[in-house]
Amino acid sequence: MKHHVFRYHAFFYEWRRLVSGEVISLGLALFLVVSPVAALRFDQRSLTMQSSLPGVTTNYTISFQYMSPDPVGSIDLLFCYNPIPYEACVTPTGLDVSDATLTNQTGEEGYSIQSKSTNHIVLTRAPTVPVGTTISSYTLSGIKNTTDTSSAFAVRIKSLASTNGSGPQIDFGSVRGQATNGVMLETQVPPMLIFCLAEEVQDNCAGTNNNYYTDMGTLSENSTLTANSQMAVGTNASGGFAITADGTPLSAGTHVIDSPTVPTESIPGTNQFGINLVANTAPAIGTNPEGDWANALASPGYDQPNRYMFVPGDVVAYSPNVSLMKKFTVSYIVNASKDLRAGVYTTTITYIASGRF
Amino acid sequence: MKRFKSLVAAALMAVAAIATIAPAPPVAAQSSSSLSIVPRKNYVIEPGKSVKDTMVIRNLDSAQPLDLSLRVIDFTYTDDSGTPKLLLGEDIAQTTWSLKPFLKIPESVTIPAGGTKTIDMSVAIPAGHGAGSYYSAIVYGSGAGDGGNVSLSASGVTLVFTQIPGTVNENLHLEKLGAYDTEQAKPDYVFIDINKPQSIGYTLKNNGNVTEAPVGSIKLKYMFGGEQSIDNINSNGSLALIGQTRTFTTCIKLKSQDVNFDGARSAANTCIEPDLWPGMYTISLDAYYGQNGNTTQEIVGTGTFWYLPIWFLIAVAVLLLIITFIVWRTVVKIRRRLNGGQPKKKK
Repeated sequence: MKHHVFRYHAFFYEWRRLVSGEVISLGLALFLVVSPVAALRFDQRSLTMQSSLPGVTTNYTISFQYMSPDPVGSIDLLFCYNPIPYEACVTPTGLDVSDATLTNQTGEEGYSIQSKSTNHIVLTRAPTVPVGTTISSYTLSGIKNTTDTSSAFAVRIKSLASTNGSGPQIDFGSVRGQATNGVMLETQVPPMLIFCLAEEVQDNCAGTNNNYYTDMGTLSENSTLTANSQMAVGTNASGGFAITADGTPLSAGTHVIDSPTVPTESIPGTNQFGINLVANTAPAIGTNPEGDWANALASPGYDQPNRYMFVPGDVVAYSPNVSLMKKFTVSYIVNASKDLRAGVYTTTITYIASGRF
Repeated sequence: MKRFKSLVAAALMAVAAIATIAPAPPVAAQSSSSLSIVPRKNYVIEPGKSVKDTMVIRNLDSAQPLDLSLRVIDFTYTDDSGTPKLLLGEDIAQTTWSLKPFLKIPESVTIPAGGTKTIDMSVAIPAGHGAGSYYSAIVYGSGAGDGGNVSLSASGVTLVFTQIPGTVNENLHLEKLGAYDTEQAKPDYVFIDINKPQSIGYTLKNNGNVTEAPVGSIKLKYMFGGEQSIDNINSNGSLALIGQTRTFTTCIKLKSQDVNFDGARSAANTCIEPDLWPGMYTISLDAYYGQNGNTTQEIVGTGTFWYLPIWFLIAVAVLLLIITFIVWRTVVKIRRRLNGGQPKKKK
């Protein structure tokens, strides 16, 4: 053991003679001083557009808090759709900052415009270390708003040591803005929601059989009463649609035929009122949703063959995005126990088609 | 007297029996139930100002007129998706974000068969009203069928969103980030997927007093190098409602196509199978939100998922078996050599 210790000592002693302690100290010092410091994100960033009307010329006030204690000689402002600094920059349609002037500055001051183009402004000053933690604001006048109200845009901000916007950045961050015309932001090709409902409907809702009720017959403990209705729906709204079924279970006065709240088989001789939106064999009713587009679906719970349920207010069909016309067939089953009180059992089911958000 | 009572009882029983087998006589409905409406309206209105707008409603039925009754109701979220939960009850308390007091619409409208009608609506925000998001829904009810056991009624809904500019409380918190399987019955996050994941999901909790629609990008890094970028993580402009924990999904690879919807060309986006190799992927989210004049806030997060298709798992298993076999053969050979070419003797 002692022998090994001596060997190690001899080996490192040789190296110590080659690399002196002073050299090691200098290396460590250089490492600590020169090692790159990761750029920080500006804090408390915001953009205030004096007018957000599309295409108008207005003032933008950009505010942020400097984070790094390094001398800042320039601020680079790049106007793009995408806020991510390393992504390609696409200039917002119609936006123009080439006539901008710096009309006010608070906090870290002393800047003037060094260069400007359609979507790019560089502010310059003599390199100075930011003082304190106050928020600095810069108001740029004469900026022409984007005419695109459908998408938000961003101003990518970075601070640099150089006075001309070149070289490594110190801090960075983006602020968001959006042009709005004060009335309608949604500029999709006119969003529409088409919906129809009846016992039978045409695929494109151009016609129905104009029958909005179903006489299911006489309740019996030995058999299941069945019925069908149809609804067609489609939308070009990017958020899709949802169809909510609202109403009460079948009732006669205070006597109610309850509905299963989970998908359940049809069991004659028990009190049951349920629906589903697919083809069934027990009993043989219904068809699967008809239409080319696969994204319009019966909701979970209402999409199981030979299983029925009904919870008022449930969404029974939906599409998460644009969906061409789709036809759903709703199957109804009613079972009755022998103890069910005599009466005319009725209900009204309201199907409500809505957009999504 | 006894005889009279029994006669009355028998008559009542007969009436009850008839009621059971004979539903109320059906009456043909007079109104159509085929309508085309605008599913969503968005406004930005400063306090003290109002917006007058119109809504176009079409009756698609060429045979029957469409009689609609209109009313404003509140709504909230159903779950973490964008499906509205309509608060249909008459006695439900008004929500704190209700637009009801500010929204004016007609009470009813009749549209001739195959016709179109433009109705006026207005949203007026009182002076001094606080900033924030307000939303309600306009319900167009077509009336129910009259008769039978099950009567049907069709309604359409327009969701109306209004932003009142000013200083607002914006606070989104990232709850989850990962691969998202939209193909299963109940879409959910997946950590290990044997099928190529087509979507990335991120779940944000909205603790502020405004609706939020984040923007930004997602980077997808493969364990052995290579990177894919999703530039627009909210291409539908989906919203997180007040108090909602909202799951946003975005396609890894998007296919955009023009479709003909009711005679107009519309863009439809669908997710298609992305170019992914088996292995681990790291997801980096960089999202931004913030309204005009308010602090722009950034959400940064990372997540991972594994794509391990069945063919890859079988290939790895076969490879492991081959390696095990080679090692075993080598060990046996070495032992034989050590034993002078003879198999080890059993004691």
